[in-house]
Amino acid sequence: MIHFDEMACLLYLEGQLDPQRSRELSAHIKECALCRDLLHALQHETILLSSALTEDNESMPARLASERARSLPSWVWTLAFGAFAAGAYWFWTDGIAPWFNQLSSAGFGGTDMFSMIVFSGAFWEGWSDMIDAIQIGALILAVIVAIGWIRRRLRGPVAIAVIMAALLFALALPQQAGAAEVRRGRSIQIPAGEVIHNDLVVTGPSVRIDGTVEGDVIAFTRSLTVTGHVTGDVIAFAGETMIDGTVDGNVRVFTRSVILQGAIEKNVTAFANSIDLVSKANVGGGMIVFAGEADLDGKMQRDLLGLIGRTDLEGVIGGQTWIRGGSLTVASGADLRGPATFEGAQQPVVESGAKLASPIRMELTQEMQRTRRSTARVLFRAILGYGGALVVGVLLLVIFPGFFRATLREAGSIGLPIGVGALALITGAFLLVLGVLLLIVGIGAGVAGVMAYAPILYVAQVFVGTWLGNLIMGQPPEVTSAVVARMAVGLLIIRVAGLIPFLGGLVWLAVFLWGTGAVLLGFHRMSRAESAPTAPLPA
Amino acid sequence: MDARRNPEGMSPAEQAVAQERIALAKAGSAEAWGELYGQYAPAIFRFCRRAMPTREDAEDATMDIFIKVRQKLSQYDATRPFSAWLYTVAANHCWDLLRRRKLRQDLETGEVENMPLEHPDPGQLERLIERRTGQEMRRALDKLPARSRMALVLRYYAEMSYDDIAATLGVRRTFVGVVLLRARHQLREILEGQGGARLAAGGAT
Repeated sequence: MIHFDEMACLLYLEGQLDPQRSRELSAHIKECALCRDLLHALQHETILLSSALTEDNESMPARLASERARSLPSWVWTLAFGAFAAGAYWFWTDGIAPWFNQLSSAGFGGTDMFSMIVFSGAFWEGWSDMIDAIQIGALILAVIVAIGWIRRRLRGPVAIAVIMAALLFALALPQQAGAAEVRRGRSIQIPAGEVIHNDLVVTGPSVRIDGTVEGDVIAFTRSLTVTGHVTGDVIAFAGETMIDGTVDGNVRVFTRSVILQGAIEKNVTAFANSIDLVSKANVGGGMIVFAGEADLDGKMQRDLLGLIGRTDLEGVIGGQTWIRGGSLTVASGADLRGPATFEGAQQPVVESGAKLASPIRMELTQEMQRTRRSTARVLFRAILGYGGALVVGVLLLVIFPGFFRATLREAGSIGLPIGVGALALITGAFLLVLGVLLLIVGIGAGVAGVMAYAPILYVAQVFVGTWLGNLIMGQPPEVTSAVVARMAVGLLIIRVAGLIPFLGGLVWLAVFLWGTGAVLLGFHRMSRAESAPTAPLPA
Repeated sequence: MDARRNPEGMSPAEQAVAQERIALAKAGSAEAWGELYGQYAPAIFRFCRRAMPTREDAEDATMDIFIKVRQKLSQYDATRPFSAWLYTVAANHCWDLLRRRKLRQDLETGEVENMPLEHPDPGQLERLIERRTGQEMRRALDKLPARSRMALVLRYYAEMSYDDIAATLGVRRTFVGVVLLRARHQLREILEGQGGARLAAGGAT
């Protein structure tokens, strides 16, 4: 007997066999059990296929739930913008404006403004009120981003382990902060005779330490005076700093003016408008100085490294001296025991009587030469920066194509990502201030926050650039090289526009807000997509 | 007909409501469009989920398909069933994506003609597929080459005609049956592998 082949049986079942053959097959299966069985098996297979395919085993993802939510996201970003505007207004009226008034009435202003803003934030006490109100929101945002990231990267027990570890770590942190003695107030004084057996953290307009601190001193203040004894380091963000006592560790100051006249066992690092190392002062280590003016009359046992506008040297330097800056005067009392180098536009003035181990090596940086070199350098850096951003973009595209597409899609809705980016920036800034200034979560957390934010800030340009490229050259086919070409064009436009004075700054601000918002939304979307099972579940 | 794949295949009254919705959406009613979306989006998402390799792809495709559908709504011929038209748009979109993505890994073309036309043992086939769960079948389907999977989804999920399948996949109509049968053979091979693994696992315990 001639049997029908499987193809014919399938077509018969599907009603696709021509009528003649169909009739033959119908007749045949009445007699042939084998072909009849095959037909049944095939039919069974069809039913199985059909039910497996149509089984409702997965719920619809939330982002597909409603078309309206996607086509009308305007309320979301209206809200984001509103919050941003309110926050900015609040920040200005409650934060900056009264501060300006206070400062100008106190006689500050002009060029000192910046150093005041940066170095003496603790001076204005309204900070804490403002921060209390917003910190919860900021922390929630940070936690959401972190959880989204963890859910995307890790799954199941690993994610739980990471979250538990993070919780333990967070619990350990306040204890650590609590281990230090924290003092806040209008005028803080540690009187002579008082001994603090602990690290000391102080915030307030005026801080004076006449007693002993057996640990580090961390100060945020307008005026810091240390006449006592500190066994650890002194770290200060202050308007004015005066160290007249003994510090067994390092002194690191970010300050407008600093006067050092005591004994410092280790090193000094100073960012200051002016620094004064009085003749009776003694620094056991070396000094790194970034300053407008420096009068260095005291002793230091090791090297001096300085970027200083005007330098007067009259003291003893045990090691090497390297200074770059405007002018250098070596007075008659100076004693430079190591080799000395000065880089500047003017010849250093060496008074008779100054002791030098060897003549000062002069590296003349002529104005013309400098400008030409700096132009070349700016150009070089611009090209390098462009190349770097492009490489990062291509890597992102190749390694995380799903994330790349999701983020690019988010960037396309313009308003929402800009709003989210602005919110993230504001909350991020507050979180940083919170972490660093008030030491609630610790400097470590603040630094970690910045380190997490920085890469997002960096890749922001990639997505805005690619979006721009797509706008100009049209949507790319799904070929990597086409996407890269658009990315290259868009990035070039951003980079060139960014070089324009003033306007460039605005361009970068827009790119940062827009791009970071898109990246955060992209993270969010990916975390949701990944949190759903990729393999079908049993029905 | 299955209501999950074809939401309009219910009662004549409901069908009339659906037709009115389509007409309203065509005329530009956002509300009617929203209802239409709510009615068909789950089926289209599931279609994309079966056709595309990842859930992310399926979500993206679903969104893009509905954007296309909204733009093309005026071209819809009301004498055809709406879901059939919808599936045609969806199938074309998904197949376009898959084809472009696989540009370099050529799409197992050329082998279509070399189908073994042997007569398989019906008993063996029955044993292979009996007591298979939907999940096992879907897992096997996921391992199929793109075209084979697409063909099965078009036929047994979207219930498209051989003509429409031929148009979507760009093959001659006479080859649709061959593509489908070949896909079934590939599926059986995968299931055999799975069955072997299952038996081995069963033997070990």
